[in-house]
Amino acid sequence: MFVTLAAVEAPEVPASYPAARPSAARRVRRALPPFLYLTPGLGCLAVWTYRPLAEAARLSFYSWNLLPSRPKVPVGLDNYADVLQLPQLRSSLWLTVTIIVCLLPFSVVLPTIVALLTQQVRGRANAVYRALVFAPVLVAPVASAAIWEWLLDPRHGGVDRLLGSPVNWLHERGPAQLAVIVITGWHLLGFAVLVVAAGLAGINDDYAAAAQLDGATRRQIIRWITLPLLSPTLVLLALMTVLLSGQLTFPLIDTLTQGGPGDATTNVYYLLWEYGFKSFNAGLAAAAGLVFFLGFGMVAGCLVWLFEKLSFHDN
Amino acid sequence: MSRIQIDGLTKCFSKVTAVDRVSLDINHGDFLVLLGPSGCGKSTLLRMIAGLIEPSSGRVLLDGRDVTFTPPRERDMAMVFQSYALYPHLTVERNIGFPLRSRRRPRAEIREKVREAAELLELADLLDRRPRQLSGGQRQRVAVGRALVRDPGAFLMDEPLSNLDAKLRTATRGQLRALHHRLGSTIVYVTHDQVEAMTMATRVAVLNAGRLEQVGSPTEVYDRPASAFVADFLGAPPMNLLPVRAESHSGRVRLFAPGIEVALWEAGDFPARDIVMGVRPEHLVTVPTTAESPMFRGRVETVENLGSEEVAQCAVGDATLLVRGPRPLGLRPGEQVAVDAAADRLHMFDQASGHRLRWRAPDVSPSPPASLSPPSSSPPSSPRAVFASRSARPV
Repeated sequence: MFVTLAAVEAPEVPASYPAARPSAARRVRRALPPFLYLTPGLGCLAVWTYRPLAEAARLSFYSWNLLPSRPKVPVGLDNYADVLQLPQLRSSLWLTVTIIVCLLPFSVVLPTIVALLTQQVRGRANAVYRALVFAPVLVAPVASAAIWEWLLDPRHGGVDRLLGSPVNWLHERGPAQLAVIVITGWHLLGFAVLVVAAGLAGINDDYAAAAQLDGATRRQIIRWITLPLLSPTLVLLALMTVLLSGQLTFPLIDTLTQGGPGDATTNVYYLLWEYGFKSFNAGLAAAAGLVFFLGFGMVAGCLVWLFEKLSFHDN
Repeated sequence: MSRIQIDGLTKCFSKVTAVDRVSLDINHGDFLVLLGPSGCGKSTLLRMIAGLIEPSSGRVLLDGRDVTFTPPRERDMAMVFQSYALYPHLTVERNIGFPLRSRRRPRAEIREKVREAAELLELADLLDRRPRQLSGGQRQRVAVGRALVRDPGAFLMDEPLSNLDAKLRTATRGQLRALHHRLGSTIVYVTHDQVEAMTMATRVAVLNAGRLEQVGSPTEVYDRPASAFVADFLGAPPMNLLPVRAESHSGRVRLFAPGIEVALWEAGDFPARDIVMGVRPEHLVTVPTTAESPMFRGRVETVENLGSEEVAQCAVGDATLLVRGPRPLGLRPGEQVAVDAAADRLHMFDQASGHRLRWRAPDVSPSPPASLSPPSSSPPSSPRAVFASRSARPV
């Protein structure tokens, strides 16, 4: 008769075989190090980001003028109602959107063109080009604002002399807005070029080589291969522009125009700051801050979703 | 179909010469495999043929037309990359149709040709997928589909099977061979895998350090390696290469070294010299240790079981000799062993250059075995018998 042979015979193990399990204290000690490494970072985040956020949220339900000696008066949702009825809200929001849209060419379009052009340059010349483009990023915004103020001086400034026009850049509505946008863009450009160059370097050269052999022209390769593969980087830059435009423009607005002439350069961030620290209406400023936080959070969420959708994980 | 001629092609990267004066004539319908170890310049050579790398000197001719500086898209060639280079944002259908789309062919034609290629490669059900949703084998087939959709003059393939597992590789080898048979196109195929070269090629070009070592059919390259490098590179386990002294002894050619004593044909007097003797492990047979004059005497060190065969590693003098044969070989570690081989299975190489040596008889001395010394009329100017070194490079 045939007898089936077991492939590998497993040794007999008694049912009550004791598993060698380390003690609870030992397990905790073993699991602890990663959390200990994270503690400083998490601590800073909690103290400098989440606590102020929670404070701002709490403050938005009170009326208070920032004086420690004065009491905080609870006002419920009044601050939010006030924010939505602020006379300058509409114009400052519109200006914020305008600034973001006008910054996109500096943060997305121009960097893509510059990075694609400098991609052809190899070796040391490439490094020199990129350093030259990146240099403005290293200049402190307030310092550059001071120099730009001097350059934009009506009649005697370098810009007017170059253009041969008597434009009073910082004291006329349109020119002041244009100046804020262009100077911010100039600041942003170098960093964005660096990001796009990194994005381009991350695209496998084989795609372009394959496309060349497949008969594509340089323009077709850029349009059909490079730009679609670069799109996650470009969305990231757009996201940065939306979220950081406030921080990038603030020092320039504060140094050059103080939101003027009139409220021509008062974007929502500057408006918020004026209410909080010029009119000392802490509750209103906190409520405005939270409204903008949620608004920008939603925009950012959409862009992150788009970023995920456009990312091609090739392996 | 295309004929590709390569004429003295050289590529230098700053101080390194990646490809050194390589000349090749690849005929219509050839399946030429560029074979060599990593870093031997085979991919650089392929990319120069494709036009992706500009050569430092030399020419590439396509059907007699000089295309050395013609951009890749104007050469009638398609390439399959090691990474496949499938456009990750496009579907399989768009990937395969890309070469036609970039040539602005009508949509209906593109759809029709893509469908044909997909059916040929059994990809018809996958046309809507993105590359990341495909398995390795499917990706490889899409890459081949993209190459053949526009019916190019020649296919260039850069290690297209290296990312597949062993079983799939064997299957795909068969498919590529069938495809070549069916299309009859010229294929230039780069690999470091000798099995791929032996099984698929109509001709093999072996490269070493940027130089061409030998070009020939798989059989020629395996049976008559032009250099010690080729002998060592082809075959698993590789050919035994043993330094020996060749001298005249009692009127015969004798090769000897510790543990090695090989008496060959009658030769008369010739100057003794050090050479490298080669013999493939599968051409060695064990003989009783009492045998009168076996070629090799040594001690068995280890015996490897390969399933159907065994490989014994034997210490012969200072050298190591591999003996391969059907299992059981009948050898045990520690045993004394005597090994013999047919004289026509021996190869000889120059010790310094590694080039193959042949025997050039001076006059009417008895003819030595054919494979060791190809028939040659001895030049009358040669008064003495000598081992003549032949250039390993094809003329």
